[in-house]
Amino acid sequence: MLKIENLHVSVEGKEILNGINLEIGAGEVHAIMGPNGSGKSTLSYILAGREGYDITEGRVLFNGKDLLDMSVEERAWAGVFLAFQYPVEVPGVSNIYFLKAALNGIRKHEGLSELDAMDFITRVKGKMKDLDMDEKFLYRAVNEGFSGGEKKRNEILQMSVLEPSLCLLDETDSGLDIDALQIVAEGVNRLRDPNRSFVLITHYQRLLDYIKPDYVHVLAHGKVVKSGGPELALELEKHGYAWVEEKLAS
Amino acid sequence: MSVTHLPNAHYSDLIASDNNHLIGGDIDWLNSLRKKASEEFTGVGFPSPREEEWRYTNISPIEKSQFALSKQAGSVNSAFLSSVLIEGCHHLVFVDGFYQAELSSIDGLPEGVVVSPISNSLNDYESLVKSLLDSVVETPALGFINFNTALFTDGAVISIEENTTVEQPIQVAFVSSKEGALSISNCRNVILAKASSKATVIETYNSVDDSCYLTNVITEVVVEPNANLTHNRLQAESLKAYHIGGVYSRLEKNAIFNQNNYTFGAVISRAEIHAELGEASDCCLDGLYIAEGHQLIDNHTRLNHLHPHSISNETYKGIMNDRSRGVFQGRIIVAQDAQKTDAKMNNRNLLLSDHAEADTKPQLEIYADDVKCAHGVTVGQLDDAAIFYLRTRGADEQMAKNMLTFAFANEMVERISFNPLRIKVLEQLVKRFPQPGMKLEWL
Ligand SMILES: Nc1ncnc2c1ncn2[C@@H]1O[C@H](COP(=O)(O)OP(=O)(O)OP(=O)(O)O)[C@@H](O)[C@H]1O
Ligand SMILES: [Mg+2]
Repeated sequence: MLKIENLHVSVEGKEILNGINLEIGAGEVHAIMGPNGSGKSTLSYILAGREGYDITEGRVLFNGKDLLDMSVEERAWAGVFLAFQYPVEVPGVSNIYFLKAALNGIRKHEGLSELDAMDFITRVKGKMKDLDMDEKFLYRAVNEGFSGGEKKRNEILQMSVLEPSLCLLDETDSGLDIDALQIVAEGVNRLRDPNRSFVLITHYQRLLDYIKPDYVHVLAHGKVVKSGGPELALELEKHGYAWVEEKLAS
Repeated sequence: MSVTHLPNAHYSDLIASDNNHLIGGDIDWLNSLRKKASEEFTGVGFPSPREEEWRYTNISPIEKSQFALSKQAGSVNSAFLSSVLIEGCHHLVFVDGFYQAELSSIDGLPEGVVVSPISNSLNDYESLVKSLLDSVVETPALGFINFNTALFTDGAVISIEENTTVEQPIQVAFVSSKEGALSISNCRNVILAKASSKATVIETYNSVDDSCYLTNVITEVVVEPNANLTHNRLQAESLKAYHIGGVYSRLEKNAIFNQNNYTFGAVISRAEIHAELGEASDCCLDGLYIAEGHQLIDNHTRLNHLHPHSISNETYKGIMNDRSRGVFQGRIIVAQDAQKTDAKMNNRNLLLSDHAEADTKPQLEIYADDVKCAHGVTVGQLDDAAIFYLRTRGADEQMAKNMLTFAFANEMVERISFNPLRIKVLEQLVKRFPQPGMKLEWL
């Protein structure tokens, strides 16, 4: 589904991603861990299409197509979704219109007709119930004044409504209380599907207790320095990142 | 009299000519009021850009245009008129500055309430008109005020009886016809909300086509003790027209006055919105302006807190696209006696193009020591992070920008409680909206 080859990215001459190679198959769940500042969010932004970076080398294929050549919205239409580490507040645009515009925008590009108002509201309210979100959030401006945890839950709501095929979750677990973490994890697990892949960026093993990854990668200094199965996350939890660095050095 | 700006010979000639189309020619006090204004105009003329109050708004195109005086109403077809009239209102319709009885409809007014054109009021309500006319206006727009006083052809007289609520808003519709092209219409409105009364007035300005003309209008408002008046103006003139307007109000003790000013039209639009606040009165000024092309929209507001315990709350938002300009001057004066004044002013501008401009100037003059005054102004562009976020969810770039721009404007539209007016403002928003592909249902 996604193939990242030798990706180099810099900002104002400073190299942030330093030759990333990563392959994610359909239906797989990959966890990416790594110290602060190692480039995890930058990678997710690059995949989503944010401007302001120089991609100096490498390429990214999404279902065989050159992802880096697509505009932000084309990526969304093609099924890429990023749950932001820091979701953006959009004053004045209500959550419900936002979701409707997003969903219908994507449906249009899938050749589907716009969902009628009733079907839409039923679908959204069902998903909100699953995520234990109060319906009043629908009528509030997108993320405006939401608590940290509420914002994260709102990201997962959008993901559930839009049903993308590649879900990038950047520290969705940070800021969630224990119950919310479980609810959100269940929301993600409900979406698991042989045709849908997940990239979970996280600092904590706990998320991976709830969402079992197929692969775990460690990102350091803009590079994947180690990859393994779920047990790698446990080892990291035990030994810290210094352990990876030491092993690399030796 | 000192001459700072050469009075324009063409317009001085218009004033001096035999204007027997004007109403009230047989009324002495009115004649002398007009005469005094004529003389002052002939001495000073229209304001020059050298005057501080007109620094950003050069009206020389008006002087060069050499407009004629509108002397009669042109024709307006019923389809156009129905697009202008707001449902659920009493309607007073003026075409090219002249009252049109057959297009107006006023019925079921409570006892003692007057809603009438000045042209029909000089017999029955002469003393009412006399007491209000020229009683509230001040001088910053002197040239235009004098021109109006000397030459107004008609306008609305509205008087709300004590302890009376007029449920239906009163729409005063000013329409410019095809025949009104290249002329000036001067209308003058006077509104009196007597003690403990309540009413809503909506002034609208529309043109049947895209012709060039000048609207020079003044509204004088008196809100008596404990009365509650809402006054709206929806300016949607032709984009080639000029609009010079003013709302001058006096709030007496415990009066409530809400003035909402929605500006979309005219190539040059200037509005003076002034209020004198009496003891414990409450004044709310809302403004929304959207400019495109080469439009210049200039709003000068002035809140004069004269007595203790009054409250003012002002919010103006502007959106400028292309090479347009928005000018906002918000002046708050707190007199020495006006202790415990609470005044808030906010002006926010959104620039959608690199060539658009916003000039915003809050001015606080505070002579009392125990007051709360807060003001803020911003000039900004759409938030790139928000655009990116919307696009990651599948909104294309244009849609993302539209949604954000709409959201910015909609904050003001949402505050309109009378739904038919809200819809009219939304229609203008959609129509004048600088970007295509915008959808009403987003709001
Ligand atoms: N626009 C930018 N300009 C300058 N430096 C940047 C920019 N974006 C990212 N960086 C730098 O790149 C590095 C990687 O940042 P990134 O946000 O990707 O880290 P991260 O792995 O997500 O960290 P965290 O775990 O704290 O979220 C950091 O050192 C950051 O300061
Ligand atoms: Mg990060």
